[in-house]
Amino acid sequence: MQERTRAGQFVFEQVDSPAVGSVLHEQHLKLPSRLHMNPFCGYIMPLWYSTIAAEHRAVREAAGLFDCTHMGTLDVSGPEAPNFLDFVTTNKIAGLQVSSARYSYILDAAGNILDDIIIYRRAAERFMVVVNAANEPKIKAYFKALLNDEIPVDAEDMKRKLPYKPDISNMRDTSQDKDCRVDIALQGSRSLDIVSVLADAQATEQIAALRPFHFVQAALGGIDCIIAGTGYTGSKIGFELFVHPDDASKLWEMMLQKFESQGLLPCGLGARDSLRIEAGLPLYGHELAGQFDISPFEAGYGWAVKLDKDFFIGKKPMEHIAKNYDMEVARVELPGEKGVRPVRQNDAVLNSDGRCAGWVLSCAKIEEKQIALVYMSREHTEKGNPVGLYYLARSRGQLEQGRKNRIEKAEHVSPDLAGVVLGRFAKF
Amino acid sequence: MAVKGLLYTKDHEWVGIEGVAATVGITDYAQEQLGELVFVELPVIGKEVSAHDEIAIVESSKAASDVYSPVTGKVIEVNQELESRPELINEDCYKSGWIAKLQLTDPKSHEDLMDTEQYEQYVAGL
Repeated sequence: MQERTRAGQFVFEQVDSPAVGSVLHEQHLKLPSRLHMNPFCGYIMPLWYSTIAAEHRAVREAAGLFDCTHMGTLDVSGPEAPNFLDFVTTNKIAGLQVSSARYSYILDAAGNILDDIIIYRRAAERFMVVVNAANEPKIKAYFKALLNDEIPVDAEDMKRKLPYKPDISNMRDTSQDKDCRVDIALQGSRSLDIVSVLADAQATEQIAALRPFHFVQAALGGIDCIIAGTGYTGSKIGFELFVHPDDASKLWEMMLQKFESQGLLPCGLGARDSLRIEAGLPLYGHELAGQFDISPFEAGYGWAVKLDKDFFIGKKPMEHIAKNYDMEVARVELPGEKGVRPVRQNDAVLNSDGRCAGWVLSCAKIEEKQIALVYMSREHTEKGNPVGLYYLARSRGQLEQGRKNRIEKAEHVSPDLAGVVLGRFAKF
Repeated sequence: MAVKGLLYTKDHEWVGIEGVAATVGITDYAQEQLGELVFVELPVIGKEVSAHDEIAIVESSKAASDVYSPVTGKVIEVNQELESRPELINEDCYKSGWIAKLQLTDPKSHEDLMDTEQYEQYVAGL
């Protein structure tokens, strides 16, 4: 864990309101009988429609469709928008090409990660910023406080104020007559075939030529879409489709009706999690920020924090972390055949001497294996390194039998499973 | 869906009583909530439990859940098949997905459990 000054920390207390259905709620209710819905970030979202394993496999072998309409979409526009995004996020945005996108972080002046985001440049002075559903209320409040000069932007100079003031609006709010957008993700090798059938010849050519983190605006089945080569599954081929909230239902239904016979499956949050874990992608609160206060450098995304920029909010603490971090996120393979107990968050990761080198952040069972994202000492994260795993006690009975419910760093315990460190990321 | 002739707990366990023998499992509602089960920790034969004591742990890829004994008794048999095929609970929770058999040591411990109709009403209200 990093020690940080609290000066410049943005404190936000979220008020939880009752969960509501997404704009695709009616569509979900029409889907198969094994549908399982749960409240998630203020929305009642599907955890799975069939099974997590079948949906995971569909994305790896054909394609999957994801309701991401709960994710926040913000429009940041105006002559000061490029400099604003350069100032309040860690990556370089002002020089970003139109029709391309970039991964970045929003930090507070104390260096705490408030969110990881993707910024899409739609025009010279117009951007779409996609934020995590869980963090959307916080980011809106943060931007508002920044624009109103209510909070410091520099812990070294608490009087320093935000120099750039763009127009920021919520792109999911249909009450204003603006270009509104919500996110539906189409991921997996067949997703290009699917959008090609729905697009005209010229658009198909553009989409086929799309490189990762680039996008085009075109009609799919007559519905205006921003078609972006981004996603959260590790698929080499996959799109995020940004449509007007009123069109989301039509696009969703059309794709499932036309392409379910070709292996396209609707996918819930369960498969979304197992796919992103298999690919090594971080989830805010687990592999970023969260209980270990994991920084972008430790998460494997130091490249998205441009320390050579003159300034961005949180730069000073990032400079310190970049030089001093000794733990990082690694991807680990563990046995997962039938009868092997699932590995869970906070289970201990052991080095070859049986000493605790870190802890599990997330884990997913994928076919006959378990893939875990772990937070461990950098000296042990080299690909191919053997690691052990110790299950924490999960019940009173296990505690009574002597199993521990917490393992400290360097503590010595016997491994329950033997695993190996994989490459940090994987593409499929 | 519940099955006639069994008794049920509010935690979604079922028990079938035949004389002094009690067969215990989890209900269709419980397996549906948990999703695909991937691991079951069975009790040790001979273990003595009171009603509401933890008797097993079932784990899906998303959650670990304790199974509590609906009755007071001694474990006399466990469904070893579940160690290699935990999905039996998803496929057939009231028959081949049973978890343990107990010998009742307190004939009154199941008096407060719900019958099929009561349990179905209880689930409908959740």
